[in-house]
Amino acid sequence: MRTALAVEWLKLRRSTVVKVATAILALLLPLLAAGFMAAYIGGGDSLLAAKVRTMVHEATWTAYLDLMAQLLSVGALLAVGVVVCWVFGREYSDGTIGSLYALPVSRAQIAWAKSLLVLGWGLATSVLGALMALPLGLAVGLDAPTGVGEIVRAAALPVAIAVLTTLLALPLALVASVGRGYLAGIGALLGIVMATQIVTLVGAGGWFPWATPSLWAGMGGAELAATVTPVQLALPVVVGALGAWATAWWWQRAEVV
Amino acid sequence: MADPLGLAAPAQTPALEAHTLRRSFGDITAVDDVDLQVEQGEIHALVGLNGAGKTTLMRLLLGMVRPDSGSATVHGREVSRCGPADWARVGHLIETPFAYPELTVTENIVAAARLHGLDRDAAVGAAGATVAALALTPWAHRRARVLSLGNRQRLGLACALAHRPSVLVLDEPTNALDPRGVLVVRRAMRAAADDGAGVLVSSHHLDEVARVANRITVMHRGVVIGHLDPGGVDLERRFFDMVYEAEPELPEEVL
Repeated sequence: MRTALAVEWLKLRRSTVVKVATAILALLLPLLAAGFMAAYIGGGDSLLAAKVRTMVHEATWTAYLDLMAQLLSVGALLAVGVVVCWVFGREYSDGTIGSLYALPVSRAQIAWAKSLLVLGWGLATSVLGALMALPLGLAVGLDAPTGVGEIVRAAALPVAIAVLTTLLALPLALVASVGRGYLAGIGALLGIVMATQIVTLVGAGGWFPWATPSLWAGMGGAELAATVTPVQLALPVVVGALGAWATAWWWQRAEVV
Repeated sequence: MADPLGLAAPAQTPALEAHTLRRSFGDITAVDDVDLQVEQGEIHALVGLNGAGKTTLMRLLLGMVRPDSGSATVHGREVSRCGPADWARVGHLIETPFAYPELTVTENIVAAARLHGLDRDAAVGAAGATVAALALTPWAHRRARVLSLGNRQRLGLACALAHRPSVLVLDEPTNALDPRGVLVVRRAMRAAADDGAGVLVSSHHLDEVARVANRITVMHRGVVIGHLDPGGVDLERRFFDMVYEAEPELPEEVL
């Protein structure tokens, strides 16, 4: 397993797709949250300020990082989803999947290594994003935090949202593998985004794992966020674990065709 | 002659063996009751027209596809039962080479060698030696994405060879190479066989095969239709005669 992790880590850290996704999650989304917060603090009657006032109601660190969590609940699914599709679909798209057969390292180990690394990358990137948010928050005029505890409590939500979203992206690995290429996974990702919108509209979002993080982050308002139960929050963990396991099972058994 | 006292040297286990191997895809039988042996220390060439079943046979021998019937063995062990120790002795290049574009040539070879069971230090050492053996030194630290098709193919071969396998399966390893590249690959195959490896190689180039192979098996439409003597004359004519005999209704102009 160590060998599979080492080789996959080398590929992951050299990948342009991963670099771009890291920049989006750790830099662009905190910048967007800070920009919206600046628009709120600045007030005025611009369209942006009016729009931001529907999402933010006070100039506090909690409100600012909650806003970032909302942005992450949508942005992270897209960014992490593309990374998952790339990581698992590239060998099929490139036609190099045969190179991973007839090796002492099993394909199940390679698939598990890919899943674990994507998960670790998702966690590391979300923590990095939260860290980036701190100087940006100070820069847009938020008061200096009263203590480390306030920041940790406020940053926990965006980090948790990003980790849940990373888990929810793992089943795309199976689609990219069975579909023998990353485009199949990207298609499924778009399908999930559309399905999430529809399910949320009809009011069943809490039980649809891909909608749970957004609702919890407050995309549907504070009242709806408060209705999300621990069981519903556990669903992404189950979905992610099942996705990773099913993908490893497929990788071990699939033929080269 | 019988050897009741068992004085004769024990028969070597073939490096690779196919026994009445068969695999269909839908209504097409890609490999049809094929028997084949690759002995240790020999280069066994597979020749045939496109669609003859060469690649599928190689995939069956490497566990990339499962047979409908028959058996495939590596060093005497059924492919489906081969474990890490068995696969650590195998190297292969089937169609697209192991060449991740974002990694350098050396990094690709180190990654392949590690996946074939070498530890990090051994893999780094093996990569250095293989880069030199396959004349890839000028590109050793270049990303694989900048390589020409031929150099990428040589990189794929380096990835198959770096861990010094005792079984080597190569599917048309020279089809994108210039004459110098062909020579380099031919030497690498010969060196592997001289070290005791069993080499199974497919090719369209009959004269090249004649230079390097110990045995030549001819396949057509999934079936082994005969063998050619690598030392014989007019290999091409005898190859086409064999194919035409196997399929008399094939129009002459196709050949």
